[in-house]
Amino acid sequence: MTSASTLGETRGHGGVERGHIVHADAVLERQARPRPLNEAERAIWDLAATVVDPEVPVLTIEDLGVLRGVTFATASGSVTVEITPTYSGCPAVDAMRDDIVGVLHGNGYDDVSVKVVLAPAWTTDWLSDEGRTKLEEYGIAAPGPRRGGGTVSLGLGIRCPRCGSMHTRQLSRFGSTSCKALYVCQRCQEPFDHFKEH
Amino acid sequence: MVTPTARAAATETGGVRDADDDPQGDGRRRFEELLASESRVEPTDWMPAAYRKTLIRQISQHAHSEIIGMQPEGNWITRAPSLKRKAILMAKVQDEAGHGLYLYSAAQTLGIDREEMFDQLITGRAKYSSIFNYTTPTWADMGSIGWLVDGAAICNQVPLCRASYGPYGRAMVRICKEESFHQRQGFEILLALMNGTEEQRAMAQESVNRWYAPALMMFGPPDADSPNSQQSMAWNIKRFSNDELRQRFVDMLVPQAEILGVTLPDPAIRWNEERGHYDFGDLDWTEFSEVLAGRGPANAVRVSRRRTAHENGAWVREAARAYADKQATASAASRASAAPEKIAS
Amino acid sequence: MIPTTNRSASTALTPEAIAESIAADETVASEPVALYALGLGDDALVLAHRLGEWITHAPELEEDVALGNIGLDLLGHARSLLTYAGSAWGTSEDDLAYFRGESEFRNRQLFEQPNGDFAHTIARQLFASVYFDGLYRALRRSTDPTLAAIAAKATKEVDYHLDHSVQWLLRLGLGTEESHRRMQRGLDAMWPFVGELFRAETGLPEGGVAHVPLDVTDGGTLGGVVVDLEPLRSAFDEIVPRLITDAGLTVPTVPFARGGGREGRHTEALGPMLAEMQVLARAHPGVTW
Repeated sequence: MTSASTLGETRGHGGVERGHIVHADAVLERQARPRPLNEAERAIWDLAATVVDPEVPVLTIEDLGVLRGVTFATASGSVTVEITPTYSGCPAVDAMRDDIVGVLHGNGYDDVSVKVVLAPAWTTDWLSDEGRTKLEEYGIAAPGPRRGGGTVSLGLGIRCPRCGSMHTRQLSRFGSTSCKALYVCQRCQEPFDHFKEH
Repeated sequence: MVTPTARAAATETGGVRDADDDPQGDGRRRFEELLASESRVEPTDWMPAAYRKTLIRQISQHAHSEIIGMQPEGNWITRAPSLKRKAILMAKVQDEAGHGLYLYSAAQTLGIDREEMFDQLITGRAKYSSIFNYTTPTWADMGSIGWLVDGAAICNQVPLCRASYGPYGRAMVRICKEESFHQRQGFEILLALMNGTEEQRAMAQESVNRWYAPALMMFGPPDADSPNSQQSMAWNIKRFSNDELRQRFVDMLVPQAEILGVTLPDPAIRWNEERGHYDFGDLDWTEFSEVLAGRGPANAVRVSRRRTAHENGAWVREAARAYADKQATASAASRASAAPEKIAS
Repeated sequence: MIPTTNRSASTALTPEAIAESIAADETVASEPVALYALGLGDDALVLAHRLGEWITHAPELEEDVALGNIGLDLLGHARSLLTYAGSAWGTSEDDLAYFRGESEFRNRQLFEQPNGDFAHTIARQLFASVYFDGLYRALRRSTDPTLAAIAAKATKEVDYHLDHSVQWLLRLGLGTEESHRRMQRGLDAMWPFVGELFRAETGLPEGGVAHVPLDVTDGGTLGGVVVDLEPLRSAFDEIVPRLITDAGLTVPTVPFARGGGREGRHTEALGPMLAEMQVLARAHPGVTW
């Protein structure tokens, strides 16, 4: 089996610089993390925000932009948390739902429901700067910005999260989970996952 | 790049060639220092040929296990009894393929080609975890594989996160996290069955009965009979002995079995206050040897399925190669451009 | 899509969420919308199942992963669509997937076609992806917020699927003599089922739904719920023959089959597929897994 037969192989070009930390503007940040202004709801948001992605546990659902909203009915004491899946078929959603219920029950909120919303559709642009840093430290190359909401052009260098080289090569467009692609660094030889732009 | 010398060294048997690589002994000194300080050895560092060989064997076996391990579960993707379970199972098998690819890449940093490793697998010359030579006759086996097999794999693999070889240790950190998610999913499958009808509970118990002992055997033979362990421990590739890990696993299982309401099929299991561990009964290693010797329930099927897929797909890979070659020729003139380049190898 | 202050318009749903909303009497599909969603859900489910059959049999590991990945996306779409459809009748996604017979499945016949060799699968995948791509792009603008949200999510994923099949079409078409011959055979085998893809939705109660016009590039609103397929047909006719000829292959001339999937008429391929898919669930009706 040779690597020639894999799809979409691209080689990163040394010298193509692209900042891997994207500073989302305030509007995007607000869209990515609509933390409630109301104090009671904000407290619930902050608890839910501690839940992590079961497959990439360095990221919280807040880092990911998966946590979409919290409503608290003062009269009944019922809590509704909204989350959105990264991919339509993502099996991590069920685990996140259970963990949110778990953490809120543990903090005295007995009536909790978690709603999964599809709109607006999740994008990697919602990943927080902090999340990107944690991802890179964990050894996964963070996603770059999407270009105008369209398909991301492949072939831009992906930076090796270990040595920082842009001289990297895609080995497989699909990695162990839908959100990742497999790369190898041509300089330090490290194989690594790249969190794909979506 | 792995140098040709390193590649040659990788095929040596006992470190005979080490001196050629490292006439002044500087490499060896540095290697010993890295181990002593619990640091990582990186692909570009000098390493003894036998260390390299041991790692290639271990990492490639691990990769093969992921690839062959797709089959017992792949067996149920088309029959999963709910769409949610179908999605979880598809995602899990995909994870395993992804781990296999990742580990093959890690092994490649030691100077072996993926083609060579894969050839060893499909010609039956490579080892993979014997657990995957058991069959999955019932849906509950999807639960048992997650809970017991992935659970045992995690116990085995968590210490490997500190393995001295950098690319392997770092890969294991991420793989272990994903495996933990798999174990949780397996546990949930069994829990749903145990909370279900009489038939479902019987299905779960019967499956746990079949998988319990083979899962315990995943840690390998008792320490007294484990030939490769000592050197691997000295090299910081292996961190705990087989029996230590097995004990750790049983200690983890017993309370979880209580939550599930399943009975572990070993009447000797009881808490030992003095040791601070659960005692458990002896395992029937003759069965293990049988499976290891190729007489397990599915030995013949596993490798041949992968080989058949590979052979049936030969024309596809040839086409992709031919296409890549043509593209490379066609784009030779415009190679200076910044456009993505197809790689022919 | 921009978040809106109107909660009900921006809240759309996966299976569990839809199930919960139904209890709260929030999101219930009307009968015609449900039938429409059922057809789309069956298209996605049946194709997802077929792709799942490839896993551990693919030509290389990367394709085990890629086909599984695409199948998983489609299964996600199917689950949302079937759950939404079921809201009209008080049935779950699993009731619909596992306890309907062959003649009750409304998928178009292309999706149930057996995998054949890898080229057959790529041909099926190419036609399917072009169909889904046009369909979901348009459906994002549906006046039904649930359908629009499902489509908006799906569009991003189908983008990748289309690219995957186009890349392989090129490799197989231009690769070797054998791959060229097999790819042509795959296209010829799947072509008869193309005709049905863009036939108007049938079986929807009259007057129940308005159609979405194709022009989805401008930001205006639209008045319909379901996608008007006729314009998608022209887009298909423009794109697909070009892709096929770019890959050095010939646009098939075999006649279209009668079709009828939306009315529950299927080829011989669907029955055995459903028998396998449903066997365990039907052995234990009414239980939780």
